[in-house]
Amino acid sequence: MVDEEKRKDILERLKKGVVEFDEDMVREAAQEALDVGMDALDAIMNGLVAGMEEVGELFDKGEYFVPEVLMCADALYAGLDILKPHVKKEDIKVSGQVVIGVVEGDVHDIGKNLVKMMFEVAGFEVIDLGKDVPLEKFVEESLNTKADIVALSAMMTTTMLGMPKVIEMIREKNPNAKILIGGAPVSKESAEKWGADGWAPDATNAVKEAINMVKGLKKEVMGEE
Amino acid sequence: MNSKERIKRIFSKEKVDRVACFSGMGNVTVEGLKRYDYAFYEIHLDAEKMANAACTSYELYGFECAIAPFDLGIEAEVLGAEMNFYTHKGKEDIVYPTVRKKAIEDPGDLSVPEGITEKGRVPVVLEALDIMQRKVGDDVPVATYILGPYTLAGQIMDLEKLLKMSFKKPDEINALLSSLADFLVELGNIYFDAGIDYLTVREMGAPTDVLSPRMFRNLILPHLKEVFSGIKKPSVLHICGDTNIIVELMWESGATAISVEQKNDVAKTREKLGDEAIIFGNIDPFGTLVQGSPDDIRGAVKAAIDGGVDSVWPGCDIWPAVPKENMIAYVKAVEEFGKRE
Repeated sequence: MVDEEKRKDILERLKKGVVEFDEDMVREAAQEALDVGMDALDAIMNGLVAGMEEVGELFDKGEYFVPEVLMCADALYAGLDILKPHVKKEDIKVSGQVVIGVVEGDVHDIGKNLVKMMFEVAGFEVIDLGKDVPLEKFVEESLNTKADIVALSAMMTTTMLGMPKVIEMIREKNPNAKILIGGAPVSKESAEKWGADGWAPDATNAVKEAINMVKGLKKEVMGEE
Repeated sequence: MNSKERIKRIFSKEKVDRVACFSGMGNVTVEGLKRYDYAFYEIHLDAEKMANAACTSYELYGFECAIAPFDLGIEAEVLGAEMNFYTHKGKEDIVYPTVRKKAIEDPGDLSVPEGITEKGRVPVVLEALDIMQRKVGDDVPVATYILGPYTLAGQIMDLEKLLKMSFKKPDEINALLSSLADFLVELGNIYFDAGIDYLTVREMGAPTDVLSPRMFRNLILPHLKEVFSGIKKPSVLHICGDTNIIVELMWESGATAISVEQKNDVAKTREKLGDEAIIFGNIDPFGTLVQGSPDDIRGAVKAAIDGGVDSVWPGCDIWPAVPKENMIAYVKAVEEFGKRE
């Protein structure tokens, strides 16, 4: 059993390292967590993810902008690479496959990459189709992998209109998959109209939404209220 | 007073009969494409098709300008990026060209070729501008656009890397943006020499919801100033997104006029910048022009004019799928609400 004071110290450094985008600090703290026998999932959720939550708040307040969030995400990944292999399989309460990609005609993938990070943190297996993905490819891959979730991103109004076509095609062939859509021009109304299961409100909100989803999943993973 | 004369006067703050309904960005519509039976991808690659398509919104609706090209890849291609034109798409599909392969890995890799009038699709655009001037140039202004240095940087190198380096290695990014500004000045003046009536600089890669106002001031603005001091006039700076907190800086860039989108409160912008400033905006090209009713459009046009715009501009390219009746209502509303004493 790890000393509670030590645990708190390591979590604090993981969190701080993410918020201050200090990859070295995160790596050291993550290694120490393993060395002292701390639970890897505890370190991820209450250290790295807690840091990302704070990043989300700074972003909301207009203190952090996209470049800062991207650097924080790098710091989170630095810790995740070290910790993830040590997470006990039985600890992961969510599981499944996610197919994710940016729809054809659109090459903006920053929002998608942050959402992908969130899924990886939560223990999903992510199949990343990349950007500028032909609409049919989403359907094909969702069938090939029996994906539980298909996540579509579009940053431009012009490419967003590919989304209802993909949703329709997936519903026809893989009716159990949950479909999430996100990106700059996507509205709640469109998401409802097209029958998506979830949506991320707008442009940089893909960032915010990714963090919010991490929060939600954290609760689920850790069994918190 | 015809459109060409009206817009010339608007750029020099002279008295006009009414505000104009024009743009500095793409405005081809599906109706325009139908007129020539063109697929969308064709009009990016052939000078005559580009020119014909560029004149259709004037010819069909009386929209008061002709603008080519329609995509944002001209500069990136010259600098070595590879484009995807989606030439496998059918006539009903509107997919804008995108960069398939970036031109550089690191900021230091940039090399600007000699003789850019001959490079990439610059010859196509120049020929199209020439055809457009002969076709409609007596009636409406003929114009084109270039990207701002930061937006262009995002087209030629990995955007995520650019954003992070802007923070971690601003010196390297500053050097890149200066070289790009020089290149853009050269290209912009080639367009002016080809006879365009004004040039729009699209720096939409730097909206304030992505970068902090501080970064805009330190990293973006200096290079916009380089561009605007180097290119001929009249020039317009267009930035999309929420520009309320940077409008003073936009005006400080040295552009003849600034263009803002629907997230900008133009009445406040007018109040901040005073009567001197030339402000264009701010009609939502999708929410209002495509999805709205003719009444919504009338309301938006009236609000923009009441807010104090010198001309009504859409907040971005007009989306090709805009319904015919909406374009008619749009141009009519500007004529009706834009009358000046």
